Amino acid sequence: MKRASLDRILVIALFSVCLVWLILPLALAVMWSMVDPDYVWSYPDLFPKVLSFKRWGLLWETTTLKQSMANSYLLAISAAFTTLLLSLPTSYALGRMHFRGKAVVQTLILLPMVIPGFVTAIFFSSLLFSLGIYSKFLGILIGHSVLLLPYALRILSVSFAQVRQDLIDAARDMGASRFTVFRVVFFPAIKPGILASLIIVFIYSIEEFALSFIIGSPEFTTVPTILYSYLGYQFIRPNAAVVSLILVVPNIFLMLVLERVLKVANPATIVGKG
Amino acid sequence: MKEKSDPWLVALLLLPGCGLIVLLVGAVVVMAVVQSVGYFNFAGESGFTLSHWKDQMSSHRLWRSFGYSLKIATLSSVLSVLAAYPLALWFRKPFKGSAFISSLLKAPLLVHGLVAAFLYVNFISFNGFLNQLLMFIGLIHDPIRMQNDERGIGVIILQLWKQMPFALLLLTGAVQAIGDDILLAAQDLGAPAFARFRKVIAPLTLKSLQAALVIIFIGAAGDYSFQVIAGPVNVNSITQYMYIIQNESGGWNQAAVVAIMLMAFSLVGSLALAAIAQAVVKRGQA
Repeated sequence: MKRASLDRILVIALFSVCLVWLILPLALAVMWSMVDPDYVWSYPDLFPKVLSFKRWGLLWETTTLKQSMANSYLLAISAAFTTLLLSLPTSYALGRMHFRGKAVVQTLILLPMVIPGFVTAIFFSSLLFSLGIYSKFLGILIGHSVLLLPYALRILSVSFAQVRQDLIDAARDMGASRFTVFRVVFFPAIKPGILASLIIVFIYSIEEFALSFIIGSPEFTTVPTILYSYLGYQFIRPNAAVVSLILVVPNIFLMLVLERVLKVANPATIVGKG
Repeated sequence: MKEKSDPWLVALLLLPGCGLIVLLVGAVVVMAVVQSVGYFNFAGESGFTLSHWKDQMSSHRLWRSFGYSLKIATLSSVLSVLAAYPLALWFRKPFKGSAFISSLLKAPLLVHGLVAAFLYVNFISFNGFLNQLLMFIGLIHDPIRMQNDERGIGVIILQLWKQMPFALLLLTGAVQAIGDDILLAAQDLGAPAFARFRKVIAPLTLKSLQAALVIIFIGAAGDYSFQVIAGPVNVNSITQYMYIIQNESGGWNQAAVVAIMLMAFSLVGSLALAAIAQAVVKRGQA
């Protein structure tokens, strides 16, 4: 059999697997989110009798979803900008300076990624408790801002490293001040990196579960913690479907924007998304 | 990249990024260590004691959790890599439809873990689509209970769903980086496909293979949400056990012991897996 024919057969076979593995579960989630509350979807109906957006409206009006979304998005915006401000000086040092122990620093910044999330969450909450910090929002914001620093540092240090030295030298030779050099040489070059860093920290902050759950529960809810409440002890399937889509769809859209910003085939190659 | 660096300036610039990370992660680890030996006892008297360690070391439930998490983490990382390798080799050379199918396979990377758990549970639950379909086509008469299976197969399927794309991402990059000349040379020397894999591809992609194994193992060893939603109810993962004793029994100090053991387990387990992978590849090369 020719290679092209074999490839075609394998593509069809793999697409069939993906259909059951990925597309069907997602389609079921969409259908469950649109099951009309007045018409139960159960055996022998393979598909719902009536589809509507009533469940979305009900959830919006009668649960803490509105507040959870406000909490999540406010946290994510705050964490994205805090992380950006914290990461700029260190990224500059990592991207443009030679110093002893650079490799050690590059390894140390990965620490939050190797400590299990629940260990960090439980003992960070213990630390906040010992320090007398009782604000749930502030506690989670500190946690998100520091724990998501590795992503911002990784993106921005690459951006700083890519700024052309001849442009910096030319600007300096023409008498530009430090601020002007930053404005006309550095800023245009690192702008995509800044945007990418804001987007990736925003997405990770929205998705972060362990810290938000341990520090925030039960009073301070975010989108993942409210989703967990529908999946845990009481499995409320239509509600879980609605919240799942609220969590997934905007983030997929943002990842596509990120992909364009980074101009790479898959943003996961840079940010290790997953 | 070409600036002379004043050590004080470098230190000052590193403080807000690296300094804060080391401070926070260091504080978390120190907090866990000191709580494990009796300090910061929020529910009683604080002071040095090894009783929490003694209690946990003799806990049957803890060792059961370790055995279970070891099984889940090892199987998840090994199966993810085994599933990803042939796909990565297949995608080495682009062909019609390869970009589409590769994107589809990597799509779970963009799906939140809790959403993945929901999709799975929704599919296989007692009143889920799979049971309805099986009954509809007459294969079964009554729904089968597949959720929270005793062996943790559901958790492994979820880990595979979420982590295989990550292994695929790492391995595809590594496999594509191997030059055609090397593989053609091996082919010209008469090496069959499996020998080319053993002697050329596996050694050249070892670093990515180890990275995938380590990252997936650490993630699976510290899993909480997949276990709580889809895992067995008669055994806990280590993280779940740690959370239960901290949250339900207020045992911060006991939880600290489990946390330290979990960190050590993640580190030792992932490094051991990486070492085994290296040994296997070297043996295959010989």
